[in-house]
Amino acid sequence: MIRPSTFLAALVLATLFAAGPAAAHQPRLGPHGGALVDAGGHHHAELVADGSATVTVHLSDMADAAVPSTGFKAEAILVVDGKPVRFALEPTEGSRLVGTAPVPVPKGVKGAVRLTGPDGATAQAKF
Amino acid sequence: MQRRLQIASLALALLAAPATLAHDGHDHGAPPPPVSATVAPRADASSADLEMVVVARAGVLEILIDRFRDNEPVTDAVVEVDGPAGVVKATPEGGVFRIPAPWAEPGRSVDLAVTVQAGDVVDVLTTTLTLPPAEPKPAAGAVVSPAQASETGAAMISGGFGDWGFALAGFAAGLLVAVSFRRRAVVATAVAGLFLLGLAPGAPTRAAEASRDLAQRFPDGSLFVPKTSQRILGLRTLFTEIADHPTTVELPGRVIPDPDGSGVVQSSLAGRLKPPPGGFPRLGTAVAAGDVLAFVEPAVAAADVTSQNQQARELDQQIALIERRLDRYRQIATTIARAQIEDAEVELAGLEARRSNLDRRQRAAEALVAPVSGVIAAVAATAGQIAEPNTIVFRIVDPRRFWVEALAYEAHAFAAHATGRPAGGESFPLAFIGGGLSDRAQAVPVHFSVSGQPKGLRAGQLLTVAATLAETRGGIAVPRAAVLRGTNGRSLVWEHTNPERFVPREVRVEPLDGERVLIVAGIEAGRRIVTGGAELLNQIR
Repeated sequence: MIRPSTFLAALVLATLFAAGPAAAHQPRLGPHGGALVDAGGHHHAELVADGSATVTVHLSDMADAAVPSTGFKAEAILVVDGKPVRFALEPTEGSRLVGTAPVPVPKGVKGAVRLTGPDGATAQAKF
Repeated sequence: MQRRLQIASLALALLAAPATLAHDGHDHGAPPPPVSATVAPRADASSADLEMVVVARAGVLEILIDRFRDNEPVTDAVVEVDGPAGVVKATPEGGVFRIPAPWAEPGRSVDLAVTVQAGDVVDVLTTTLTLPPAEPKPAAGAVVSPAQASETGAAMISGGFGDWGFALAGFAAGLLVAVSFRRRAVVATAVAGLFLLGLAPGAPTRAAEASRDLAQRFPDGSLFVPKTSQRILGLRTLFTEIADHPTTVELPGRVIPDPDGSGVVQSSLAGRLKPPPGGFPRLGTAVAAGDVLAFVEPAVAAADVTSQNQQARELDQQIALIERRLDRYRQIATTIARAQIEDAEVELAGLEARRSNLDRRQRAAEALVAPVSGVIAAVAATAGQIAEPNTIVFRIVDPRRFWVEALAYEAHAFAAHATGRPAGGESFPLAFIGGGLSDRAQAVPVHFSVSGQPKGLRAGQLLTVAATLAETRGGIAVPRAAVLRGTNGRSLVWEHTNPERFVPREVRVEPLDGERVLIVAGIEAGRRIVTGGAELLNQIR
């Protein structure tokens, strides 16, 4: 049986190690032409907006390999024309999550996407 | 011992939190050093416009938002939080945005997206708030900070014994273990001793500090300053930019009145001063050019009076003679030349004019008039006083027109602008007028005119002139107040690295102008330097 103190110590160590990879990653250009950023400690997310109202998020793992979007849920909060817009993104085929914004979303938009995985774990990506 | 370990674990978990949560698109270099266990659980985030600190305290999430570049608090904004409870609009209260956080249970890690609309700045900030696990079961929904947890834990064990009772109980427990496992007796006793040493003196202090966010200095010299303290200290920052700044030299100077805007009133002859109607103008009286300030009644010496009298008698005599001759000529006008009569008439008119002038001259007083408009700066007038010729009776200065005469010990090419800084006064702008070419006390006088109307300026005041030269230098210009003296005597500035983190940076500075200095080494562009409240920051121990 694991003693509570040992468990706690392990937890603390895990938190400390988790701190490393989560730190600063500047947005970089993704394979689909969007901004690629970290989403939590397990995924990368690439936001693609092309000036239309349709916004696509491509999911990948930490090695940039595509991750099936099935079971994921996402909500986007984007700043368009000085106003925040909120809309949901639904999983489609492949690694994509697609949503329709109430207004056209320009390329290089600022904002955040909140991801909820199939296991209920949440993660955020800041663009 | 187990509990002790857990308390330590709580503290450690909190230490990890800032490193995990900071950095949102901004890499500030090395992760910040850990914060002591007395602060409430917190998370931060920053963007190019804003920085934010989220603090979980007693079931409420406090959100503090400042502008990224200058650290000015954002108090008037619409703040919405996307969290476990969906989208919640925060209530502003005294510059802090609050939302209820019933979901903030110990040991939970919560993703938050905070949407801020503050005027023209709209931003979404994301952060992850990690709440440390708590061993003693807290009240439902309450957020337990490590400080509270450790306090509660201690209270539960020690019960009515107090802190020393707790310590003794720990020691007794250690001994009990030692008895149970004889082979490990030495180790167990040592552990029990440590328990006693570590806990007994520490417990009361920790209880006193509990649940307070205190600014603290780390062994490496950097500071943790909670946002709330930053606002009390009024900390403001400057975003460093490298630019070319003109070089300046500092010269000793003295305020002089503008020669075209000041004047003196002197008597041209010796005489008795007499006030004009309404009396002599007093100090500080505004006068216009042409105003009569005083009269001088010429003082006539006794010898002069005698000679004047003699002259008058002579003139009277000559007038009488000419009149007589003129009468005679007119009686025989038919026999003499008309020219003779006319000559006599002209001569008589001339003599009469001289005679009347002589009368008037004796009584006429000289009017002393103001040569320029301005304010009476000095008065040396008393009614009845005898003024020698060339005595300065009044000095008039135009308070809107002052010059500064500075002494330059080298030949400089001055640019058009300079700054004057009187001792203990406010700086004011100067405009270069001209420099002399002849030495005076091994220096060349240089004239500047005072731009605007600085308060409290007076002729003769000493000041330092920071004169801009034609050549420029590259560097980071910061206000003088931002540069402080470190304990080792070196110049330092405080860099705002993370929302609640300040790091001292040693810098090399050169004078730039009256208000600013130039940092030529020690810090790069794109950093935030504390300008307002830097001195207060330096006092945190």
